[in-house]
Order: sequence, then structure tokens, then C-alpha cells
Amino acid sequence: MSLSPGKTARLNRLFNPKDGRALCVAADHGWMSDVTPNVMELERILRQVVEGGADGILISYGTALRFGHYLRGKNSPAMLIRADWMNMPRMGGSNVSNVLPVVNFRKMATSFAKDALLVGASAITIYYFIGYSDEFEVINIEQTSAFAIECRKVGLPLIIEPMAVGGMVTGVNIAEILIASARIAVEIGADALKIPYTGDVNTFRQLVEQAKVPVLVLGGAKSDVPRDALELVDEALRAGASGTVFGRNVTKAKDPKKTVADISALIHENRSINDILGEKPKRGYRLKPVPKNCTGCQICEIVCTRFHEKVYGQNKARLRIDARHALEGVPSYKQYVCTLCGKCVEVCKPNALEICEKGYLNLKTEKCNGCALCIEACPFGVIVMEKSTNLPIFCDMCEGEPECVKWCKQDALALTPLK
Amino acid sequence: MQTDIGKTIRLNDVIDSNDNKALFIDTSVASTLGATDGLENLAQVLQNINCICDGIIINVGQAEHNANYLGGKNRASSIVRMDWTNAYRDKEFCLPAANVKRCMISNGEDALTIGASAVIATMFLGFDDEFEAENIKDISHLSRECFPISLPVIADIRPIGPGVSESNYEDSIKLGLSFMQELGADCLIIPKCSESILRLVGNWMKVPVLVRFENIPSGEDLQLFFACGLTGIVLTEKIFTLKNYENQIIELYKTIHDKSVK
Repeated sequence: MSLSPGKTARLNRLFNPKDGRALCVAADHGWMSDVTPNVMELERILRQVVEGGADGILISYGTALRFGHYLRGKNSPAMLIRADWMNMPRMGGSNVSNVLPVVNFRKMATSFAKDALLVGASAITIYYFIGYSDEFEVINIEQTSAFAIECRKVGLPLIIEPMAVGGMVTGVNIAEILIASARIAVEIGADALKIPYTGDVNTFRQLVEQAKVPVLVLGGAKSDVPRDALELVDEALRAGASGTVFGRNVTKAKDPKKTVADISALIHENRSINDILGEKPKRGYRLKPVPKNCTGCQICEIVCTRFHEKVYGQNKARLRIDARHALEGVPSYKQYVCTLCGKCVEVCKPNALEICEKGYLNLKTEKCNGCALCIEACPFGVIVMEKSTNLPIFCDMCEGEPECVKWCKQDALALTPLK
Repeated sequence: MQTDIGKTIRLNDVIDSNDNKALFIDTSVASTLGATDGLENLAQVLQNINCICDGIIINVGQAEHNANYLGGKNRASSIVRMDWTNAYRDKEFCLPAANVKRCMISNGEDALTIGASAVIATMFLGFDDEFEAENIKDISHLSRECFPISLPVIADIRPIGPGVSESNYEDSIKLGLSFMQELGADCLIIPKCSESILRLVGNWMKVPVLVRFENIPSGEDLQLFFACGLTGIVLTEKIFTLKNYENQIIELYKTIHDKSVK
């Protein structure tokens, strides 16, 4: 990749020249969503992130003016400036509460590249929203290209963040949209990308290979299980990603310094997740949905009920297929399956539920008091109460060989090893 | 006497000054559709084709990142695309366009900075009045902006809107040619059309005109184009779906310039 000397030098501050990888922390949430503790305590968090060894920190222009001095020094993280603003987190359906909810999706450019240069930035980051509407996309393209022109002029790297959001984005087409949007961003002038994970290694590899610029995978929404976020990064790295941008999983962590150090160990030292977390490898497999293949036939629900209840029906299936919405007359489906996240086990006071040695959920019926806390705790709603026995019914992986996977002719359900 | 020596020199980076003929290859569709078949690895594609064509139509980001493979002696120079559109997103694409949009994504100064020998923008015909007026405004601005910096402007005429039918297709091309010549374009690209239009274009236009093709044109087609006074061929991204496309492009390049490839 040929770039101007200014861009090359500044990208080298972000991506470690030894391995070409980077761990960035996004701390720009106070700029777009409600005031949360991580926003109020940003100074403390930034200090810890620096101590943890992040390669870059994404902050707003105002934060750069207040706290930019923490980023001085050769080995300190590179400063990335968020050069635009948007109101998506305050729209309905997001995962945070909204003091002032908004109805219309808006995005505004808020800094120039030269402003970012003046505060010592090594790059700017801007959004490229695709899938909301044609009108909104063209606004995004215009803003993005205006930044690209200015960045070329002043030698500042441009990191574009393609985001597939809106009514036209479904589980079926999201990977394809992300792959296309990554390349579109590069065609317009991205020097690096900050992009959500496509959901599997193969499609993410395709994205990385077609982009031909460094790709940083997003850490995603705050996860209660540290392993989940690390697994996502691990998969993305295997697909060729150059690193990650973690936001709330770091800034809302109990110990941001340790979280950064853990992710850094994965990215720069190639340590395994089990090693980082000090856990032994688990046996067994878990279900993994492949939404793009799902046709909504619901055979999986029928065979699940047949296998467990010996009847034909869907009410007592241990997984669920929901029709979402139609795109050009083609409906798309969301698959809800047990991911063995363990939340039901955590809330089970009489310790009746456990993940057994073979790697699937098991109920000690003699201990179960029918409190139904497991049902409330399940984030996917795939545990239901059997009224006749007052015991929960849940995915037990058919004791190791799931019927749903066997019967799904579309390969919309797969098995992935537990780590 | 040619007074704008800068434009002349740059235009002759992409149109051979010995025979005034040219073969362009367009890779710019990726800005709207992502990587189409064969264009997944653009750096490799550029290495494959940069010695067997005269100009490569490329988006601004890729022109910057792949400057090593563009321009120089016996190599194709870059023609940087200045605009973006969703007009080519049909039902085959993961996000089909409901409303056709376009905008400018670069400017003449920016293109000159990254080493462009020419810039290109599309004139769409057959969409609504506001769309057409904005399109005219943008190309007019580009043409005036590129004049003082001596950067040739190529206009790509696309009569693909719902207002274009079989009956007015060729007249739409004529309208587009007229508009773009009046706006000051230095070179024009038109879609395939009948012999009568080609002859008219050859006599009428005072700037080079090339014809856009999805596949390799036949020898008869080429003879006709050049007999009509046209300058050359633009191959679209579809060419990269062919096996051994390099060999086919080499043959075309040799035929156009009537010489062996160095």
C-alpha cells in the first residue's frame, strides 16, 4: 500500500511496526449516548487504559483538549479523533436508556482533519452508515469523501467505520453488506477500517482480503462474559484482522487496565484465551446459528420437540426461529439457540442446573424448586417451563448430538467447539 | 495551436499520441458494489493490466493506495473517478437502491495530488429533473475547476434512467454528448450505439470519444469505430469475470494500436 509519508508515519504510531497490529480503546461514548459512569470517570479510565498498554485511544476533540496530555510520550497510545457525531444510540431499540430519545437518524461532521492534527492526533475516525436509506447513505458518502480529501491533503490517516444499520439490514444480508461496505470505504479513501464482526471467520476473511487495508474489528456491546469478547477478537485475528477497537468492554470493565492487558496479550503475544483467563479448555460443543442460510422452515423446532417430547409440535422446542421482516419480499429469520452462556447456571440458587463434564446443560431434578429464575435469566428466551412437571426444559444438545443440526439441510445451524 | 499544454500532455498519458487511439479499463464500480467478481484483489488486477491498456479508471482511494502500479513509461495512467452513485445497485446486490443518488467524492486538486492524468464523472440521463440539474452543476464545476490546473475531464454518458426507452436511447446519447461538450469535457465516453450515431459522433465531436463495452468487441466493431473517427474502447469490470482476461485484453490492445505489446 503506498501512502504519503505523513500517513505512513502516523499509522505506524497506531499499528505496532513489529507485528502490524493494534489494540484501540474507544472512549468517545459521552459524545453520542447518555451520561453513564464510564463517561463521568473518563479521566481515571483513560489513565488505566494507557497503563494497560493500548496502542490507540479514540476520543472526541473536547476530550483531546482536556486529557490529551495523558497520551504524550513515545510508547503512549496514538490519539484517534472521532470527527463526527451521530444520534443512533438514542434511537429506539438500542441497548442503553435514553434521556432524550430521538426519532430521526442524524450524523454530522464535527471536526476538520486539521483540527485533529493540531491536537496531536494520529488519525481520525468517521462513520459510514449503510442500509438505513439511500438518502442517508449519500450524505455519509459525501461527508466521508470530504474527510478523505482533507486527510490526503494534510497527511492524516482516515479510519472509516462502516456500520450496517436500518430496516434493510437483516441476518441474511449483513455479512454481505459489511464486506461490500468495507471495500466501498476503501475505494473512497479509507486508510484503515473499524468494522463490526461479520459473524464467522470465512466472511470476515473475505472482508479483510478485499479491503487490503488494516482492519480493526469492533469489540461489540458490553459483554458480561470476558471470554465472549476475546473469542470474537481471536476469530477476527485468525481471519486476518490487524487488531481491535474495544469500547464499553474496556471502559465499563471493573479493571480497565487488566482488560486492556488481556486483550493486548491476545493481539500482540498470541496467547490463548484459556491462558489469558487462567481457565482449562472445556470439552464439548455449542450451537452456532448461521443466519444467512436460514430459510425459516422450522424443521429444527419440530425435530427438537419430537426428540425430547416424542410429539410433533413447536411449543416445547429448545430453540426458536423468529421471522424478522421482509426485504424485497424475501423474509429473514433470527435464530435463538442456547449458546451455553451459563447465565441460567449462575442464577440457579439450589444449584440444580449445571454445565456437565461433557459440555451441555444438565438439570438435577431433585434439586430444582421450579423458581423459573433460569427462564428469566436466559438472554435468548430458549428455556421454557413444563407445567406438568414444574421443571424447566432447555437445550441439552440432545446429550451431545443435536438433532436440529443433523436435520437442518440448509446448514443454518452448526456446532462450534467450547473453549 | 494547442494552448493548454498541461491538458495535452496529461491526456496523452491515456490516449496514445502516436495514433490517437486508446483502451481504457474501468475498475471504479467497486465504490458502489464493493468488489465484483474478478476485482477482489485490485492490486493484483492492476499489475496484470497496467501494461496492456492506456488508462485505468479507478476510485480515488485505490489510486492513492496503488500508486506504485499506475503511470510511468509504457504503463497505463490513472483516470480518477470523481463521483459516486448507487445507480448500479440492482436486485442482485445485497442492498438494492430504492432511490437513485449520486454525489462527488473528490475534486481536481485532490486528483492531481495523487497523480491522476485525467478525471472522470458520469452524466446520467433519464432520471428526474433535479437529479439531472445537480449532475450538470457538478460536472460544470469540475470542468471549470480543472481548467486552471490543466487536468483533463472525461465525461461518461449513461442514458440509464427510467425516462430512457428504446425509442429515445440514441437521441439521449446525442443530448448527453452535446451537454458535455458544451460543459467543456475534454474526452467523452458513450455506450454502444448504432453505426449512424457513431458516424454522426465522429463528424460532430471535436474531442476524443470512446465507446463502453462489457466484453471484448469484435474486429468488425473496432474497424467500424475507427472508420467513424472514434478514439477507442472502454472495457467495464465485466471483463474480469473472463478466464485469461489478460490474454484477451492484450489481443485487443494490439489490435487497437496495431502493434505488439512491449
